[in-house]
Order: sequence, then C-alpha cells, then structure tokens
Amino acid sequence: MSLPAGAPATSTGLEEHPSWLRRLWLAGPYGWNQALTKPYVLIPFFLLAATAPFITQYFVDTYSWTGGEFWVRILVTCAMYASLALALNLVVGYAGLLNLGFIAFFGIGSYAYALVASDQLNQHFPLGWALLAVVGTSIAFALIVGVPALRLRGDYLAILTLAFGLIMQELTLDLDRPPVLAGHQFGPDSLNITGGTEGIHLVDPFRLPAWFPLIHGTALQSRSYYWIALGFLALTVFVMLRWRNTRTGRAWIAIREDELAARAMGINIFKYRLLAFTGSAIIAGIVGMMNAAYLHNAFPGNYDIQQTVFVYIMVILGGLGSIPGAVIGATFVTVVPFLLQQAVFAKFVIFSLILILLMIFRPEGLLGTVSIRPRKTLGGTLELFTAEPEAAGDAGVPSLGESAAELESTTGAIVDPPAPSTP
Amino acid sequence: MDYFLHNFPQQFLNGLETGSLYALIALGYTLVYGILEMLNFAHGDVFMVGGFLGAGVALLLIHGGVAGLPPVLIVLLMMLIAMGGAGLLGIGIERFAYRPLRNANRLAPLITAVGVSLFLESVVAWRVSPAPVAIPSDALVPARVVTVGVLSTPVMGLILVLVSIGLMVALDRFIFATQFGSAMRATAQDREAATFMGIDVDRVIVVTFLIGSALAGMAGVLFGLRFATVNFFMGYLLGIKAFTAAVIGGIGNIRGAMFGGLLLGVIESLAGGFISTTFQNTIAFLLLVVVLMVRPQGLFGQPVQDRA
Repeated sequence: MSLPAGAPATSTGLEEHPSWLRRLWLAGPYGWNQALTKPYVLIPFFLLAATAPFITQYFVDTYSWTGGEFWVRILVTCAMYASLALALNLVVGYAGLLNLGFIAFFGIGSYAYALVASDQLNQHFPLGWALLAVVGTSIAFALIVGVPALRLRGDYLAILTLAFGLIMQELTLDLDRPPVLAGHQFGPDSLNITGGTEGIHLVDPFRLPAWFPLIHGTALQSRSYYWIALGFLALTVFVMLRWRNTRTGRAWIAIREDELAARAMGINIFKYRLLAFTGSAIIAGIVGMMNAAYLHNAFPGNYDIQQTVFVYIMVILGGLGSIPGAVIGATFVTVVPFLLQQAVFAKFVIFSLILILLMIFRPEGLLGTVSIRPRKTLGGTLELFTAEPEAAGDAGVPSLGESAAELESTTGAIVDPPAPSTP
Repeated sequence: MDYFLHNFPQQFLNGLETGSLYALIALGYTLVYGILEMLNFAHGDVFMVGGFLGAGVALLLIHGGVAGLPPVLIVLLMMLIAMGGAGLLGIGIERFAYRPLRNANRLAPLITAVGVSLFLESVVAWRVSPAPVAIPSDALVPARVVTVGVLSTPVMGLILVLVSIGLMVALDRFIFATQFGSAMRATAQDREAATFMGIDVDRVIVVTFLIGSALAGMAGVLFGLRFATVNFFMGYLLGIKAFTAAVIGGIGNIRGAMFGGLLLGVIESLAGGFISTTFQNTIAFLLLVVVLMVRPQGLFGQPVQDRA
C-alpha cells in the first residue's frame, strides 16, 4: 500500500514483536515444557492442588458406594499415578529404556510394605523403617533385573523386562502356599507369603512419627493421604527437574538420542542406564507403598502386567520426556475411568483407540520432546509426516528456552539430515 | 525313577500338543519380526479372534438350522473361515496401525501393537462375549482316546499335532523353495536392497501378515476344538508363551520358531509333570530369561549387528 518500494513486504509488526502468547505458541512443545516447569507456575499449581479437597467436598456425589470420599479418592489416585508416570518417564522418556515390566516395581513396593506392616508375617514396622524396607527391596530387585538386562539392547531389554514382570506376577499369585518342587515341599504347610489371588488384607495405614505435630499416632484419613501423595509428587517433580539439567540428565538424553555417539563421548552407558532404572524402581516402589497403605491391601490385580499399558498411556499421552505432560496424562487417564465406571470394556476400547491414534498422528504426545516420528528414509512411506510447516517458529525458542535448547529439537521432529530423494 | 520313566513319554506327548500350538503362533511373531523388526504384541489376540471365528462358525452351523452337515465339513469350514478372517484382520492391522509407523523410532510401533492388542481384547469382550464360549467339539470330532502302548491321546490332540506339523512343513517349503519365499527372505535381510532388486516390499509385508495371522487363526480353531472353549483373554498368556518360544528359537528365524515352540511345550509339560504344576509358567519365563542372558539371539539365530 503506502510502503516505500524496496521495503521487505513480509515483515509485519506481528512477527517482529510477537505478543508473549504468540511467542508461547511458536515455541512448540519444548517451550511449553519450559513455561510449565517455571517455579512461578509449579508452586501455585501445587498450592492450588493442595486446597482441592476443600473444594471437592461441596461437589455433588452420585456414587454412594464411596460416600463423600469419592472425589478425594480420585485426587489421591491422580497424585499417586502422576508420580508413577514420572517414574516411568524417567526410565523410558529420559533414558530411553523400554521397561515393559515396570508395573512389577509398583507391586514390589506394595507387597514389601504389606509384608512389614500387616498380620501376614506379624510385623508392624514404624513408618520410617517400613520406608527403608520398601526402598531397599526396590533397589535389590532393580539391581537383580537391571544388571543383567541393561547389557542387552533394544528389543531384548523389552522382552527381558516383560519376562521379569510376568515372573513377578506368577510369584505373587503362587506364593500363598509352600512351593513344591519335584515332589519336595519347601517350608511348612502354613507358609503363606503373598496371599495368592486374595492378596494381603488389613495392611496398616500410615502412622506419622511422634515429632509430627497434631496428627501423629493416629491412623490417617483420606485427605492426609492426598497431601502425602501430593507432597511426594512435588518432590518427584522437583527431583526430575533438577536431575534433567545435571551431567547425569544430559547423559541420559545423549544415550537416548544416539547410543553410539554417547559411547564415543566417553559416557558410561551401563552406569547411567542402571541409575535411571533403579531410580524409577525406587519411585515406583514408594508409590506402591502409599497405594497399599491407602487401600489397606496389596491386591495382585492392581499390579497385573496389563496395568503397565495404562502407565504407558499416561506417559505417552502427555509426551515422552515431559514432566508436566506425565502429570497431565496421569490425571486424564485416572479421572476418565472413574467417570466411566459403568462401561468397563468400552473404557478399554476408548483407551486403546486413543493410544493407537496418538501413536499414528502425534507420537510425541501433548508436550513430548523425544524424537519418535517416522524418519523419511525410503520412498513411499508417508507423506503425512513431512517436515513441520511451522519450522520457522523455531526462531521463537531462544526467547523462552534456556541454553540447553540445542540439546533437543524443538518440535521433536526430524533431526536427521534431509533424506535422499525417492528412488 | 520308575515314576519318571513311566510318565516321561506321556508328558512328552502332551508337551508336543501345546508345543505345536505355540509353534504355530510363534511363526507369526517371528515372520513379522524377521521382516519388519517389530514385536507384534497384537498377534496373540489375532489367535484369539481366530478361535472366536471358529466358534462362531461351529455354533452357527450346528444350532443355526443347517442340520445334517457332516462334521468334517464343519471343521474344514471353521478352519477356512478362521484362517481367512484372521488373515484379513492381520492385513488390516498392518495397514492401519503399523504402516504409518514403519520407519519410526522402535518405541512407536511397539506401543501401537500393545494398543491394538488391548483394542482387540476389549472389543471382543465388549461386543461378543465377556464369558468363555463353549464349542461343541464332541459333536465335531470323535471324543475317542487313541491308545498306543503307554501313550494315549484324544483324537483331537492327534489332529492338532498333525495339522500343525503339516502347516509348518508347508510354510517352510513356501519360504525356502518358492520365488515369493526368496523375496521374503531378501526383504528380511535388507529391505532397501530388496527394493532395488525390484521386490514390492509392501506386498511382501502384506503377505507376511496374511500368512502369520492365518496360522494364528488356525491355531485358534485347533485350540478351540481341543479344549472345547474360547475366551477373550486366551490370546494373552498363550501369545506371550508363543512369543517366548519365538525368542528361544531365535526371533526372526522360522525354523527356530517351530523348534522353539515344540521345545517350550515339551519343557513346560515335563516341568509341570516332574517339578511343579504351580510354577509351570514361572519356569517357562525363567527359561526365556536364561536364554536371553546366555544367547540373546536364540538357539538358532545368528548374532545380528545392532542397527541402532
């Protein structure tokens, strides 16, 4: 219009000084992750979440079977599964290890706590010692599985961890009676460790130690479990965030993105993998302990190997490698089944469809940063997934992202050099 | 020892029965892995759908008014329709769930496969039957027990082993003695080079899924006839066992899968008979762990270069 000739026609005021909202949009998943993990977002979020039980007590409760506890129950489950999703995110999203037996560690924590805090073995440890027992058991199992498994590559690791999960499941179901091997019975007739299909009932609730003000010594209420689970979630989020930017965190990302290059850089792959594997096992074990204490039982169905799928859906829905993503995914996957109580199988159909469609159309999930998209190596594979049209949006990153921005591609898309043209 | 000697042959025979089921299903896992290098966790559920298709045909023909059809014809129809249906299902899964992810990071197709598996199970449970469905196999196959010396087995057990072995031999010939088989082997070795040789890789992959799924469908019918019942979660444990067998034999190796299936069946049966029935499954999975530790490429596989 009235522009002088020669002025760049493409530059508009919008592009030069984009509003913060537009910059956020242009930043892509990486920028969103950055924005959502700022302290001024996280702290208000957790404070607000802590007040949630005071709000939900006014909600109309249509599920009489749980009484007024229904919404608190949802909140507790959300907080616990969010921690569990973060643990899986540590091992799959950060370190890129496909652990298909992950749920076994959740079960190990539950059973470890149930065994030291119930009448099953007539043990009633105080909270601190029980926690120690749970963490110790988790570490022991993580090392037993991890040390041999992590020397294997890719698919074999997945298969081995799957076999571990299956063995643990069989053991929890079968160890309610003394094992009989080749006609010889081990242990007395009354031997009953895991309670078989019944599980272990009447597990002790948490009792806080004496130095804790006001509520120590008494069995905790639902709400207190929610605050404990939320506190643990906050701790996990904090640890994950800090860990991500340490030498260890960068080593994980490097191994995940290119094992060979990481090895060439002198990274001890086995050590870092084992660290991620064990760390995730400890978090999962502690969540399992909270779950057993909250539900007052350790029931094998809760640690069925197929539950692994749900934790995977949580992490993938939110986006592999993303901390806010894992929390959002866990919340979604937990809340929706509660609302779909009546439709048991329809629920599974919906979730499996979500999983499949997500993998096809947005494999990196809501906020994911892991490059998981199809690579164009051969002709005729997929025209749908050519390079992102908004590649220009990368320019918006430095303003929001931090110095580590180069480590990960902004869109999670193709990092490889352009593929040769189709044959 | 006397007990052992007396029972060993019978346990061995029982093991061959389950083993040939494992082998039929394991072939599907191993074919797909050989060509696409992906673990098709939905395969066990294709087996389950095959069993349900067979059950549907049997119930329809027996109770559905087409009276007087000879049992042999009904059984043949069950097998045909189950194989065809399962094969089409396999092609469909490949087309809609796996093809879009063919060159993706390894995680993506694996998770999709788990999703497909959950989808098939829950759709069957939701729309068909959440309870086990009985198959009137007494009306279809003579319930007589064949006894030779110390060995005895129902007729259906014999049919199961014979049909499985026949199919395995046929598949082996197809892979190793026909032109299309050599195209499949070429694709397994190097997909890109196979394209340069003028092989239609997409077609090879479709046929692979067709064959693997059809075998699983047949296994479903044989299972249904042998045990007179099918249920929506039967593909889960049997699928994982078959997968174990494929890994033991060397995943990607066809003869390995056949042998691994039979071996796993026999070992499981012997373990159940002589060590502990309770820990039968645990022993099978421990065997898998041991094989992976000692020889991750399986008994028949060759060490492959990591293509990461």
